[in-house]
Amino acid sequence: MSLLKSGVIASTIWILGLSVLILVAQPARAIPPFARQTGLACEACHTLPPELTPFGRRFKLNGYTLTTRAPLVNDINDNKDNTLWLTDLPGIAVLAQLNYSHYNRAPPDTGQPYPAHAQSDTYQFPDQFSLAYAGAVSDRVGAWMQLTYNGQSGTVGVDNIDIRYADHTLDNQWLWGITANNYLTFQDVWNGIGSYTIPNFNTVSLYNNGVAGAGTTGPILNALGPGVVGGIGAYVFWNDSLYFEVSEYHSAVAGGASPVVDSVSLAANGGAVDRFAPYARIAYERDWGYHSAEVGASALYVHWIPSVGYISAQQQAAAALTGNAYTPGQTFNPGAVERYTDLSVDWQYQYNGQHNIFGLLGHVTHERQQNSSQLVAATFTGASSPIYTNPTDTLTQFLITGEYFRDRHYGGLVSFTRTTGTNDPLANGGNGSPANQYETFELDYVPWLNVRFLLQYDVYQVVANNQSPFNLSNANFPNSPGFTNIRAGNNNTWVFGLWMDY
Amino acid sequence: MNKLTTRSLLGAAIALACTVVGGTARAADISLPPDPSQMPARQLVSYVCARCHGYSGNGVSVSPLIPILAGQNPIYISETLKALRQHGRADPHARAFMWGISNKLSDEEIQGLADYFGKLPAVGGHPSNNPALAAKGKEIYENGVAEPRVIKCIECHGEVGAGTNNVPRLAGQHPGYLALQLHYYHTKLRENKLMNRNVANITDDQIAAVVEYISTLSGVEPPETSDTSSPTNDNSSR
Repeated sequence: MSLLKSGVIASTIWILGLSVLILVAQPARAIPPFARQTGLACEACHTLPPELTPFGRRFKLNGYTLTTRAPLVNDINDNKDNTLWLTDLPGIAVLAQLNYSHYNRAPPDTGQPYPAHAQSDTYQFPDQFSLAYAGAVSDRVGAWMQLTYNGQSGTVGVDNIDIRYADHTLDNQWLWGITANNYLTFQDVWNGIGSYTIPNFNTVSLYNNGVAGAGTTGPILNALGPGVVGGIGAYVFWNDSLYFEVSEYHSAVAGGASPVVDSVSLAANGGAVDRFAPYARIAYERDWGYHSAEVGASALYVHWIPSVGYISAQQQAAAALTGNAYTPGQTFNPGAVERYTDLSVDWQYQYNGQHNIFGLLGHVTHERQQNSSQLVAATFTGASSPIYTNPTDTLTQFLITGEYFRDRHYGGLVSFTRTTGTNDPLANGGNGSPANQYETFELDYVPWLNVRFLLQYDVYQVVANNQSPFNLSNANFPNSPGFTNIRAGNNNTWVFGLWMDY
Repeated sequence: MNKLTTRSLLGAAIALACTVVGGTARAADISLPPDPSQMPARQLVSYVCARCHGYSGNGVSVSPLIPILAGQNPIYISETLKALRQHGRADPHARAFMWGISNKLSDEEIQGLADYFGKLPAVGGHPSNNPALAAKGKEIYENGVAEPRVIKCIECHGEVGAGTNNVPRLAGQHPGYLALQLHYYHTKLRENKLMNRNVANITDDQIAAVVEYISTLSGVEPPETSDTSSPTNDNSSR
């Protein structure tokens, strides 16, 4: 039996199995660790996970500590302050995402003289599988610490971490906290921007066979995640409405023997934050009746050392020993950086009624990227290749999502994303455009609050240069005669997904 | 962003943080209220109840699906919390929210919470935007429906909707919450022999009407029969 046939049969059995599950499913309470700790069902904190309700936002801002369970072990000092506060339940969560994708068109194998019989289907089983600790560490400290197997990379690694201390006045007029996390925006409690932007399942990924760096271009705000940065921030939430946060992020490269940013870590991570990256966030939320509305803004400034062409002092020394010394003009070290300034506006409206849930959310992010002269073609003097055409590039991303769910059992969403920016042929290939435009259509079925099936269709109008084999500049595959009529729509993708946690 | 702007942002943040930490005491450090016995209840309210039932501890919820507790009859609060703790009240929202929250409450804590919320200034009613519907609701509230039979509300909940003892105050309550509870009683998703029987035949239109009328009630007894022990934020012109 061919692998293709066995894959189809396996998929059929899996889908049939899920169908049986759907048919026998009865509503039940969700039991992930936050629910175990608080005694609250998922709907207290989520419209549908991971989107938060006003209550869920306050649970997170209060450091994941809300509980009505008495501590199993407790010690206090003479002032009756807690010195040890251990819950009787370790908040262990298991999270899994499965994903079956069907691409509109399979590209040929560009390494062959003739079109190969490539599949246009991909089965990620699992897409992600995570173990996490989630919940109170003490009466004022809580954490979300996640270890994930990533189906695409085939590796297990440290994923999202957010450790918080939070407290508030008796009348809740002032709430304040400190967050230490490894993913810029993971600490945010609204869903119009950042790591929990809706749509959240299967963040759009283009068919990237044979193309380095494929994917939809976006601002660096979305890219400072686990294994790249670590940060600490302080926040206040005043009068249950006004949120203000300042954070700073450092390079926190995973896998290195030391925290030093060197050529090895740069090559492994595609670059690194130089010194510190300050981030400020302000948001205003007003809740009335069944309604909740938020408008916010954020600012991020990053010195980024690119990995391309970087030659470390150690490498220079090693090269000198072999008689192949680099001259200072041949290296980018230490002054070659990309300086990013990201300014964003985000919004979220939520109607959380007895049966109906509506949402309208999104953001606009404008990024200004200034490239050191060592990286730009016109001013480049080294022996390696420059990587930018322009000393200054800009990028603007606009995303808006509308969603509707009925009784937290059925629903769907429509999302539109458009990215534009300055043309930089060296950075982006082709005519240099970083543009992309696509929509996501999603139908959801939620038999249990912690199990979600979804059918998603991603539709592309613009995929520019080097972001996919099917892009504006790739009129034909040169090694595949007859493989013509390349267009952005070739990237259109059906996704059947399963998300669950327990 | 230039360095000056970055410094300005950081400076503003530090200044704000100093203002917060220096000018506001932690919850545990706040001076005791006049009645020290309220402290445990006040802390419970601050850390738990206030998340839904009014963030400042005023017992006035924002979501119409969550009841206003300010000025509610303490005996009703106490009995309801005990019923929730024992899973005796089992409507969908009770299961999702209050079963877990009430799970570890002691009798003393429940009594403290009931007293706390009972003493808070109650919310009054407001004039109806639909007088015709309110008039229809008034008829049901005061006289019930003959056929198919719906029992009049006034008999237990009183002329002004103040309730008594274990009969809940209805005046000032979110209309959405009242409608939801009537639906639960009607469908027996919330079990209470008396209320299940009283509204067994009620229709959606009748629920809408009676809720519209209840939203106009002040909760304040007329002067000749007044019980002024419970202060009220009344803005009704009933």
